[in-house]
Amino acid sequence: MDYSSQVLRRFRSPLRAGVFAAEMPGTVRGEAEDRSLNIWVRFHVHAPGSRIEAVRFEIFGCPHAVAAAEWVAEWLEGREPSALTAWDVHAAAHALGVPTEKLGKLLRIEDALLACWQELERNGSVVDAERGG
Amino acid sequence: MTPILYFDNAATTPVDPRVVEAMTACLTAAGEFANPASGHAPGARAKRLVEEARAAIGARVNAPPERILFTSGATEANNLALKGALRARTAERRHLITTRIEHKSVTESARALAGEGVEVTYLDCDAQGIVSPDSVRAAITDATVLVSIMHVNNEIGVIEDVAEIARICRSRGVLLHVDAAQSAGKIPLDLAGWGIDLCSLTAHKINGPKGIGALYVRRDVALAPLIHGGEPELGVRGGTLPTHQIAGMGKAYELADPALEGARLAELRDLLWCSLAALGGVTRNGCPERSAPHILNVTFRGVDGTSLLCALDDIAISQGSACASSTPEPSHVLRSIGLSDALAQSTLRFGLGRFTERADVERLVERVGMELKRLRTLAGSAPVWCSS
Repeated sequence: MDYSSQVLRRFRSPLRAGVFAAEMPGTVRGEAEDRSLNIWVRFHVHAPGSRIEAVRFEIFGCPHAVAAAEWVAEWLEGREPSALTAWDVHAAAHALGVPTEKLGKLLRIEDALLACWQELERNGSVVDAERGG
Repeated sequence: MTPILYFDNAATTPVDPRVVEAMTACLTAAGEFANPASGHAPGARAKRLVEEARAAIGARVNAPPERILFTSGATEANNLALKGALRARTAERRHLITTRIEHKSVTESARALAGEGVEVTYLDCDAQGIVSPDSVRAAITDATVLVSIMHVNNEIGVIEDVAEIARICRSRGVLLHVDAAQSAGKIPLDLAGWGIDLCSLTAHKINGPKGIGALYVRRDVALAPLIHGGEPELGVRGGTLPTHQIAGMGKAYELADPALEGARLAELRDLLWCSLAALGGVTRNGCPERSAPHILNVTFRGVDGTSLLCALDDIAISQGSACASSTPEPSHVLRSIGLSDALAQSTLRFGLGRFTERADVERLVERVGMELKRLRTLAGSAPVWCSS
């Protein structure tokens, strides 16, 4: 399998891999998996106010999946929490050079982000954040 | 840049310089370049080289040299053995027995024959990768023409009991074909003594050139040809004999002495396995007591195999057979021995060879340990299925 330089760089040095050192208020978790695709991913999103301040992730999967998780984690930081619902899987796949047959793995990453968003909605952080409260 | 560590010798091997020398001597005007089928003196000299190579191969596998026909490799030899044997028989006997863990060149040939109306029985192996001779005995019917089984499995390195299976086949009047692509030169072969009818051989797994192989055909075994041409080998395969390839294969078989290389490779394989086992969360696949010395198949729990492979891009290893490792489907061999898809995807095959040194094994283990730790950390608190 050939990997793009974009994938290799993020796979070899995923700066946002791991978990936060300590439990922080305003942090939510969301995960998704697909056994048939051999992927499990969990995001930790720290969004105490109107911005996502930091993102971490744990992942079991192929280099494309690791690179995509790192890519979206980087993209999310500094954005509004609603960005969790706005990740463009196809644009990311194009930017990273992810082959079509691997798109299913990226969709699971999207599912994990949506799970984070739902968790934010459940605990009321989204409403406060989107209102600037 | 640090040189690549080569641990994919089950896929192919570098050509031994002594083999290169033998081949080079057949290429130019100063050497034996002539067509070995030509009646003139240069042709006769080329023919002599071909016959010397045939003799070297026959000696290595204990088979009469005159019953060895050259092919383009073991894939063609497997095709010729299966298709040739089945197509040469009458419509009354159209049954083939093989296993679920064969090389694709056998399973795909079997599939093609099934399309021609041949009944094919696929035998299972046990969790250690062993095909029971009793299962062969039980599968033979009055219509069975051929049993085809590999001697050493190309993915997990298990040695099948072809001597016992040959005895069973002989007692039932059924032909036995053995794919010995992974065993020739690595472990002793006794084709005549065991009573093997057909045996596929190759050169490039034992430091010979690619593009050349052979099929041993026991006397009185009829085969329908796949390639027609003038003056075919054993009346079966047409085409000009590639003297340089054949001379290279002969030299490779002369050099590949299991008595000399087997013990050294087994020692390195055992060192590799003990060192990898010490990393934790690893499982060896295939029966250790019946394992070829040059293949080690290991499952690394809790990591995705493609990620481990990518992380180890300074090392040449593979996830399965070279012929299937580019496909995302888990290996049919690993599935057959009962591995889940997740574990099959987390499995790597290490192939050792003539030029593998102890220092190479030590560096490999160091690199695997480093990347295994990194990827397991990346997987964090992944659920149990990722490692079971």
